[in-house]
Amino acid sequence: MVTYKWLSLTLGVHVNTAKQMLYHYLEQRRKEKSGATLHATYLVSGKCLENGSMCHKVSVVREEKLEDIKSKLDMTVSIHVYSIQKSELKDSGPLYSTDYDAVKENLKNCNKYSAIRCAAAVPVSSGQLQRAQEKVLAAAPDTEGSKPGLNDHMAAASKISVKQPKGIMGMFSSKATPKSEEYSKEVKTEQKDDASPAEGAKTRPSSKADALSKFFGKPADKNAATDKPDKNIKEEVEGALTSLSAVSKTQSHSSPEHKQSIKEELLKNSSAAKGDSKDTGNKTKRLEQSDSEDEKGESQKTKRRRIKQPQPDSSDDEVIPDSPPVPEPQTRSLENEVKKEPVSHQEILEGKRRKRRRVLKSKTFLDDEGCIGRDHFILCTFKITAHLNHESVERVTEKGYESESYSESEDDFKASSYPSEDSVSLKQSLGKREEEKKLKEKGQKKAPAAANKATKQATIFGFFQKK
Amino acid sequence: MTTLTRQDLNFGQVVADILCEFLEVAIHLILYVREVYPSGIFQKRKKYNVPVQMSCHPELNQYIQDTLHCVKPLIEKNEAEKVVVVIMDREHRPVERFVFEISQPPLLSISSETLLSHVEQLLRAVILKISVCDAVLDNNPPGCTFTVLVYTRESATRNMEKVQVIKDFPWIVADEQEVLMQEPRLIPLKTMTSDIVKVILILAKKIH
Repeated sequence: MVTYKWLSLTLGVHVNTAKQMLYHYLEQRRKEKSGATLHATYLVSGKCLENGSMCHKVSVVREEKLEDIKSKLDMTVSIHVYSIQKSELKDSGPLYSTDYDAVKENLKNCNKYSAIRCAAAVPVSSGQLQRAQEKVLAAAPDTEGSKPGLNDHMAAASKISVKQPKGIMGMFSSKATPKSEEYSKEVKTEQKDDASPAEGAKTRPSSKADALSKFFGKPADKNAATDKPDKNIKEEVEGALTSLSAVSKTQSHSSPEHKQSIKEELLKNSSAAKGDSKDTGNKTKRLEQSDSEDEKGESQKTKRRRIKQPQPDSSDDEVIPDSPPVPEPQTRSLENEVKKEPVSHQEILEGKRRKRRRVLKSKTFLDDEGCIGRDHFILCTFKITAHLNHESVERVTEKGYESESYSESEDDFKASSYPSEDSVSLKQSLGKREEEKKLKEKGQKKAPAAANKATKQATIFGFFQKK
Repeated sequence: MTTLTRQDLNFGQVVADILCEFLEVAIHLILYVREVYPSGIFQKRKKYNVPVQMSCHPELNQYIQDTLHCVKPLIEKNEAEKVVVVIMDREHRPVERFVFEISQPPLLSISSETLLSHVEQLLRAVILKISVCDAVLDNNPPGCTFTVLVYTRESATRNMEKVQVIKDFPWIVADEQEVLMQEPRLIPLKTMTSDIVKVILILAKKIH
């Protein structure tokens, strides 16, 4: 499979040359009428009227759909060959895979051969870059620090981020086209902006927003959320940071479900900007719940596995309170940094997490260090993993009866295996987790059976007490 | 910089983990591309930084995971020679076979210089190749099923029976009918050689 981008990077030619090469090759092979049939995909862009507004649509389509799409556009701006392959593609995944390695190798100058230029897109100085990175890391625990180059070249960033979502989405569903419209809008707005450190932060949220809107299918909201001037974004980022720290203090019991950082940032932006949640109640809940999560992990730059499945929420929506002292929760989160990985594993048990949290709130259990109260969950996870050996022998018996009833629900989760991706990079924490499980199982046999629904929630945390 | 040698149990586990993850993704992808199951159950997920199609059906996932869970100890000890995904038609005659030949170089040590990202890159290439393999394949008849066969070296299966894991998920010796294809046409799809593992993917298809 050959895409024009791959061809241009491999041969070192301008993209337009690559596109023409592909076109001529296709023509030639089709004229010969011998050998295997070739399939091609095309990139079509043009203007069309949608929902009463004029929009610029860019999509990657299979050959069969080409005429169809062309007829839908009021004015076709450009059509060119995107890729040629022997097999009929069912799915746009391979299009991205083909380019991946070639792009990765030429990350800094992957737009060397591109036709999109923006005079304002100059590489930022390293000082500016650092500031931008800090801001972004503070705002979103995105671990793609390996690609600062993308932030530098706005054109490249917008081009790549536009291209990839387009490639992935443009092919099949009808939902794709409204989204591609908003990407092209973002391309335009980004190009208008001045290069500044906030750009780095903005480009990322925008490109993340693209991916995010893919998942949620609500282009209108996201588009409005991301098409903001720089200043606004800056304010939001800072405001979000303080609100995050607030949330972590008071909301430690809410379920810190493990969401993509993208989601968090975007929801933060949209809710902060709009004042009240314009999004559905669901999203606000997710925001609040993910905030405490966010705060714990983000500023610490720990890589953590992001689980993509959106998780069911219920209850637990609390209004984000006004900003309390910022430094205090942050120092606390520093302690928790190391414990992020085992915590993230706990999050795999989706709904259970929430219950675990609630338990802590109601129980005042005796901590060696005398920590009682709401925040103790954070500290306790810290303690649990740190003091594996000696700590909770008493707790085993205390919570023994609770763990018995926990096993019923736990068994369901045992059946569902852990995502296999965990094994390599999070081996250590997984190993710990398995130890926990084994110990828990042993504990259950000894414990009296006192299955009680009220204590069921307690058991889930009791699981973590027993080490 | 730690250097792990062949004797280290960790090394075997690391390689086995990598391979089993890869095989899981590969099997899901094969099921998607060959349309063994309706594409509605598949969902786009990310592996090795590229989108792949994985199934959402719990029982199917469970089956594949159990299968690989049993295969993993064999790979750890380097006893698994081939893992084959066979696509069979309604009468349980093989239509296509995706043969993954796995070998591990004997005297081997990996250090952190052996970047796992290099391995990722190679595995990505294999996955890409699976995605486009239907260029050389005809459409399968409807009602196909799949099965996974494992060829082991020597007599590793005797030891396997003692393992708890196998007792929960029993394996049987495959029928000849399922194993042998009449006059297959072999198409090597991709060879991937790295310091820690070598995978060759060969496609065998029935000539109609």
